[in-house]
Amino acid sequence: MTPQAARCPFHGDPETNRADTGRDSGGQDQQAANHSRQASDYPVADWVDVAALASDPYPIYARLRAESPVAWVPQLNKFLVTNYTGCHAVEQDQEIFSAEVTGATMTRAIGARPMLRKDDPEHSADRAPMNPVLRPKSIKEVWGPVFEGNAETYLEKVAEIGPKEADLNRDYAAPLASQNLIDLLGLKDVSVEQVRRWSHDFIAGMGNVLDDPAIWERCDASTAEADRLLEELIPYYRQTPDASMVSAWANSGLPTSNVAANVKLTISGGMNEPQHMVTNMVWALSYHAEQSALVLTDPSLWAAAFDEAVRWQSPIGMYPRETTQETILEGVRIPAGAGIGVVVASANRDAAHFGDSAADFDINRPKRPHLAFGSGVHLCAGHWAAKTSIGQLAVPMAYERFPRLRVDEQRNESWDGWVFRGLTSLPVTWN
Amino acid sequence: MPTITYTQPNGTQQTLEVAEGTTLMRAAVSNGITGIIGECGGQAMCATCHVYVRPEYAQALPEIREDEDEMLDCAAAERTDRSRLACQIKIDAELAEIVVDIPAGQL
Ligand code: HEM
Ligand code: FES
Repeated sequence: MTPQAARCPFHGDPETNRADTGRDSGGQDQQAANHSRQASDYPVADWVDVAALASDPYPIYARLRAESPVAWVPQLNKFLVTNYTGCHAVEQDQEIFSAEVTGATMTRAIGARPMLRKDDPEHSADRAPMNPVLRPKSIKEVWGPVFEGNAETYLEKVAEIGPKEADLNRDYAAPLASQNLIDLLGLKDVSVEQVRRWSHDFIAGMGNVLDDPAIWERCDASTAEADRLLEELIPYYRQTPDASMVSAWANSGLPTSNVAANVKLTISGGMNEPQHMVTNMVWALSYHAEQSALVLTDPSLWAAAFDEAVRWQSPIGMYPRETTQETILEGVRIPAGAGIGVVVASANRDAAHFGDSAADFDINRPKRPHLAFGSGVHLCAGHWAAKTSIGQLAVPMAYERFPRLRVDEQRNESWDGWVFRGLTSLPVTWN
Repeated sequence: MPTITYTQPNGTQQTLEVAEGTTLMRAAVSNGITGIIGECGGQAMCATCHVYVRPEYAQALPEIREDEDEMLDCAAAERTDRSRLACQIKIDAELAEIVVDIPAGQL
């Protein structure tokens, strides 16, 4: 019946996979939430300081989890959900917690509604065609060598810059994430800088809740450039299909406008996060010397190191949903039409789910599901691509190339953001 | 009503009565059955809903499609010829009763 010989490219040796024996899946917690006590009026967290969130959100998340894990935050015009069971419950129910949020700046920014702002079955029609490109086999066999070649190219550039000047974000993570995405999408005749600019302009547009005309102008210009390219690429891939995402979409029978919207979504969502994961991992390992020694002597631990880093400093901190009807979440009554912020970065530090050491970086912690890639039907489409390109290739190859690669404490690093969070610069040095 | 029985690695069993049209994964996740995660919501993209189907029910199941086959290779626990993704098995008139074993790990 089923061929036994095939091996998952991601599990080198099944024996080395630590089992999550006897741990629950989070489903039980969700059931408890469904039967939760009678709701009261909702808690309000008017003390949340948005500027403080962007500089270091974790203390604010900790207080929200302790005081009111589902709370109305007037400054954000949203209920923030900050515990694991609450976030998980939202993600399991797209009928009550819709991804089709009203006034979506995302739709305005990229010209049409992408899959991330649709519920099933519309969502699935957009997403299904690209799943085969992004499953582990295609990622490993077709794209692994491409990601590896790109990593070599940019490691060479870092070597030229040298251990006194190199910035791992600027010189490696950023161009590498851009080139990997260009290849995986199948964009042609575009530069790393151009696609980075598109990505930044789209993201700025998606966040342009204050309607700044200058932001819209840049965003619209980038949208027009990307659309012009796709007008040529879609017919090209219909004639000459290959293993890329645009090719899969072009041959899916979807209207061109759907394809274009989802390509632009991927350009916005598939670059900053892998970029941030390169620097997050090196930062975390630099400040945890024992764990760094472990993973450098046992390469099978890279998968755990990636997974722990994406949990501990999640590149996507929060994403939006909207209630379609009045509902009760974690005992809190939420009206219909309310904006919800699913704060997965906080859920990923919830001690009720990860134990008392939830705030620590520990690549040996028992395996538990985390929400850094979301969960449910919008689970990150690129999660296998990110695990491979960054966790198995970009970061291990950097350590191979540069002995004792570490944060250069002589120069300054900087973190920024909470909706999207990462290092904006990471000076590194080596021996 | 159709029933699904989930057997934990330690032998304890839970039986759910479910509506036709639901999947083994969806029923487990919405009823808090330990050990089935279903991270991707049923798209055959995560392999965290791996189960072993008891042989006496194998006949009534749909064929394993290519996407399921590929993902089963990525399941955390050993793949056997009883392995299936719970999200790809729908309860319907053909399949009014099924018993599955939950593997020791999904991650
Ligand atoms: C470590 C890197 C990454 C992280 C942390 C990440 C995180 C996420 C999260 C949290 C979501 C769900 C958002 C929501 O439900 O509202 C998501 C969705 C998505 N991601 Fe990623 N992502 C990463 C890399 C990538 C890459 C490399 C690609 C490119 C292929 C990608 C493409 C997408 C797409 C297309 C969606 C929308 C899926 C849908 O609506 O069904 N991501 N990602
Ligand atoms: S739920 Fe993801 S493969 Fe079944």
